[in-house]
Amino acid sequence: MGGRFDSLLKDVGRRISESIDREVRGIASRYGYLEYMISRYREILGGISNVVEMLEAYEKPLTRSIRVNTLRFSDVSEVVDRLRALGYELSKISWEKFSYVVTRQGKVPPGATHEFLLGGYYLYRGVASLIPPIALNPYPEDRVLDNAAAPGGKTTHIAQLMGNHGLIVAVDVSRERFRALRTNLERMGVENVLALRADGRRVPEFFGAYFTKALLDAPCTGEGIIQLDPSRKTKTTFEDLVKARVRQVQLLLATVRATVSGGRIVYSTCSIAPEENEFSVAEAIEVAGNVRIVKPDLPVNLDPGVTEYFGVRLPEELKFCGRTYPHKHGTEGFFVCVLEKGS
Amino acid sequence: MRPRERVLRCELSGEELHRHVERLYGKEALEALAGYIPLYCSGGFTEVYLLSQQLLDAVRSLMSSGRVPYYSGLYAGRLRTRRPLFIPSHLLIEKLYDRLGKPVRAFAASEQGIKVLMYGKDLLKESLVSCYEPIEVGEVVSVLGPDRRVYAIGLSEISRCSELDRLSRVQVVARTIFDLGWYLRGGTIPREPKYRV
Repeated sequence: MGGRFDSLLKDVGRRISESIDREVRGIASRYGYLEYMISRYREILGGISNVVEMLEAYEKPLTRSIRVNTLRFSDVSEVVDRLRALGYELSKISWEKFSYVVTRQGKVPPGATHEFLLGGYYLYRGVASLIPPIALNPYPEDRVLDNAAAPGGKTTHIAQLMGNHGLIVAVDVSRERFRALRTNLERMGVENVLALRADGRRVPEFFGAYFTKALLDAPCTGEGIIQLDPSRKTKTTFEDLVKARVRQVQLLLATVRATVSGGRIVYSTCSIAPEENEFSVAEAIEVAGNVRIVKPDLPVNLDPGVTEYFGVRLPEELKFCGRTYPHKHGTEGFFVCVLEKGS
Repeated sequence: MRPRERVLRCELSGEELHRHVERLYGKEALEALAGYIPLYCSGGFTEVYLLSQQLLDAVRSLMSSGRVPYYSGLYAGRLRTRRPLFIPSHLLIEKLYDRLGKPVRAFAASEQGIKVLMYGKDLLKESLVSCYEPIEVGEVVSVLGPDRRVYAIGLSEISRCSELDRLSRVQVVARTIFDLGWYLRGGTIPREPKYRV
């Protein structure tokens, strides 16, 4: 695995270096980013003014959403009323029935309200992180794999969409993050999850091709959540991105193997890097040979996936993958792609 | 110091959970467990989970490959070799109360009292709103909020509700062994045990 895509990315790396000019250097210096990042943003967004808009958006606090936990509190309006009484202004998200955008925060941050402390009234997240479970579209009769599941925000969301029925197998390898996953499952009242601490690449060894739906919210470099982690402006090199991709592809291939024929697989990251998104998906499709990208029927408008990057042509169907950008969608930068396994 | 043993062994057979539920909450409460299969996982502690049929199939499949789940289904509570012999989870207790249609072995606390409990404090008489028998000294009792949800589990300091009359307002009526605030204290109080008993 990796030969062809490794050499493609080597070419990309070379072209990125060659493309760094005075304009790129100036913007990188003004906003405190590594130069190679700015050059890539110009390539993805198609112009330096768009890049500046995105960087400006990254300087602002992340727009939060709250998702009311209907597994324990069936009356969504009661929770919303309680938060409004605390000074919160909330706006309903039209495409997610339990969720609201926090348009103004109350005096107490969402992680410190009595309602949050009291165990599971709601969860708060970036808005875009609500998209993968919606794209997965799980039903109560599904057998769902949530690979790289911790800390469990999406696991609990999937459980909510399934009404606590069916089966979710949540897998993660990190001991610390797994504690957070367990905590979230318990406090949110989730009953349909089997949580397994294991390397997600080994899931097919334990279950074979078993799952009707699978989500891989892959571990990534976080290039979409610079609002939350400004150190990301300088801490990740191009080589780090290429390295992260190797594990992402392995995890995606394992997720595909663990899914039944005809099953749906959602790949997502909180990153806008094509190196760990479109390149990872393209390589997994090529290696697996039995999986294809499908156009998701999503109730939210996303930017299309990248199909050409520094002169490298990627499969045309990658345009059906979706991207969010902070300056366009008012969310974190995010990537989501829906795949279907063939026979 | 000897490192704590990890959860290594899980079994799908055993009657202990049902025995304890019947002992504490009565025969009728057992109906809340109908359709669930208990899973006992032992390592440093014995934890009990309740599995649906679909979860059972997945757990069996996993265990046949030599692995055990870290967490599965509905967390029902912890079995102990000393009193209290069983600490039910707040999720299990709420399920039992739903079935019974009323709380038992419980104290209801004021909103202010619940806020204090969320920081791991004990329940004082001044925070108490109502008392639901049976209760026993040293045995588990749940602490309910104004919305009748379980926010903490404690050990009762009294054996009858009528004993409350002789307590001063600042005396402890339940020594809290678990409260929902524990879930969020992880970052501030590292390695705080789940049950303070």
